[in-house]
Amino acid sequence: MSTDDNQSRPARRLTLGGVLLTVLTIIAAAIWFTPVYWAIVTSLRADQATVTEFTLFPTDPTLENYIFGIVNSQLPIWYLNSTIIAVAVTVVAVFTAACTGYAISQLRFPGRRVLWWIILASFMIPVPALIVNHYIIIAGLKPFYPVLGLNTHLGVILPMLLTPVTVIVYKGFFDGVPREFREAAVMDGATEFQLFGRVFLPMNWGVTTAMAIITFIGAWNSFLWPFLAVQSEEMMTVTVGITAVQDAFGVAYGRILSGAVLASLPVALAYLLFQRRVTQAIALSAGIKG
Amino acid sequence: MASVELQSITKRFGGVEVIRDLGLTVEDGSFCAILGPSGCGKSTLLRMIAGLEAITSGRALIGNVDVTHELPAKRRVAMVFQNYALYPHLTVEQNICFSLSLAGVPKARQRERGMQVARLLQLESLMDRRPAQLSGGQRQRVAIGRALVREPEVFLFDEPLSNLDALLRVQMRLELAKLHNDIRTTMIYVTHDQVEAMTLADKIVLLDKGRISQEGSPLELYNHPANRFVAGFIGSPAMNFIPGQARRAEGGLALALRGGAQVTLPPRAAPAFEGERAVELGIRPEHLVFADDGPVAGRVSVVEQLGNTTFVYLDSDAGPLIVEADQTARFHPGDSVRVRPDLTRAHVFDSDGMAWPLAA
Repeated sequence: MSTDDNQSRPARRLTLGGVLLTVLTIIAAAIWFTPVYWAIVTSLRADQATVTEFTLFPTDPTLENYIFGIVNSQLPIWYLNSTIIAVAVTVVAVFTAACTGYAISQLRFPGRRVLWWIILASFMIPVPALIVNHYIIIAGLKPFYPVLGLNTHLGVILPMLLTPVTVIVYKGFFDGVPREFREAAVMDGATEFQLFGRVFLPMNWGVTTAMAIITFIGAWNSFLWPFLAVQSEEMMTVTVGITAVQDAFGVAYGRILSGAVLASLPVALAYLLFQRRVTQAIALSAGIKG
Repeated sequence: MASVELQSITKRFGGVEVIRDLGLTVEDGSFCAILGPSGCGKSTLLRMIAGLEAITSGRALIGNVDVTHELPAKRRVAMVFQNYALYPHLTVEQNICFSLSLAGVPKARQRERGMQVARLLQLESLMDRRPAQLSGGQRQRVAIGRALVREPEVFLFDEPLSNLDALLRVQMRLELAKLHNDIRTTMIYVTHDQVEAMTLADKIVLLDKGRISQEGSPLELYNHPANRFVAGFIGSPAMNFIPGQARRAEGGLALALRGGAQVTLPPRAAPAFEGERAVELGIRPEHLVFADDGPVAGRVSVVEQLGNTTFVYLDSDAGPLIVEADQTARFHPGDSVRVRPDLTRAHVFDSDGMAWPLAA
């Protein structure tokens, strides 16, 4: 390290408070991580060893639980279903929320305020409170639109597109764009679609990434609605499917936990790859929910 | 190039009238500065010319074409904003060519036009940078480039130098003046800084509470202010005002100033009045001279030495006064002095603030 570096960085002092805080953080992290670690380790043990071996590392690590799950269950199909649903929900929900946020923030049309209040009110209603209505509506659509009923991808996706928080976040950010940016583009001859697509959206790209990640994670992890909307095994998502594995495998902990690890893998990867964005997204939506 | 004509323009925001029955003609190819204090309606006026603000009543003509209800992009005007409004996600080149890109101009043509403008503004080496990587002056030049690329008939500037530091402001002022000399396009420039207006403009329009207080060349406004507001606004430091009583006298206008001083001014084109009338004598700091036999006595309170000149602030019998003195003058707070106004350069304002100009 150069002398300049030494000079530019403030010297860190070891204080009792700092040490205590660090120790507490480490303990909290250890408490949080123990079951995660135990699940990974158990999934790597042979079936018998899961109830007899309590070592920190598996003595004879094996992937047989993973192979069994992939070969003997519909896990690859559930993965595909989860991917289709999560990607579709992410793309459509974020895009429509951005459009709605833009319209409410930037356009002046009759009913704008009413629409805004409806969106604000709608996010105060928890999703589980609406789930019966969703079920009745989606089930009722089947005779008219077969691709939209229960046990269909669209049937699962449609109610998950309601993301008022994302609209609120976008509106907030679009409100914060200085009006000169809009006016400069208007003077340059930009249409509303060009303003949205070439000025407002790119200027708030960070919000879009953050919202996309958090929506993807939410859609991938969602359980209650996919659990109700899908009965056939080949249409299940991973989160719903692994409960089927649990039933099918009895108390085969290794297999259950290998399913759980596989199910949470994309989410964990998303967290690891986009840590900062996820934190930003949580802060953004938490700020709204506050 | 095109002239701009505003006919009986009025602008109301709800019940608040911001611009009142305003008429203005900006000649083709001229540089017109709209000057005034904060809240006088100068930016609103510019935005109405740009089409960003609807005109409540009246007509706006650009190049003799009525554009009152025309869309901003169709008015053949370009605007440079106070905060530059450069898109942070685009490079300098993309910012400059943004309007061409929106219009679907082929990429090669965009590049060609972008480079032409960049050469004019010396931005060639910065074309791949983003606004965050530019200095204030460079950003300003990019903002001007974005306006230039559209080849507008009228340029509108909304306080474009107010975000720059003093040194850069002077430099950019010069560049704007050169640019106007080069392209000779009509420019309308809104500012609250009289120095910018005085140095750049062929014509200054001084606004006060939504009305034109006076319009004319910079020196016309400086030397022949139409009213007290113009006299006080133009000039730095501001004009001194001394209250007094005027009466007609042989050979001119006799003034009994506050504090007891008596002066006689050359004849004025004043409305007829009998006896005495309350007025104010307006005298610029450079038209007051220190003289032992001067009619106004005072005491020095502050001395500002600027190198090339010195401003001496006095507490006088007539009220507070500022005197511009020679750079070699040596005064100290507390010194007793006497000053004499150059009465041929003095101004008289009646109780309504209207000037009584020298009689023809």
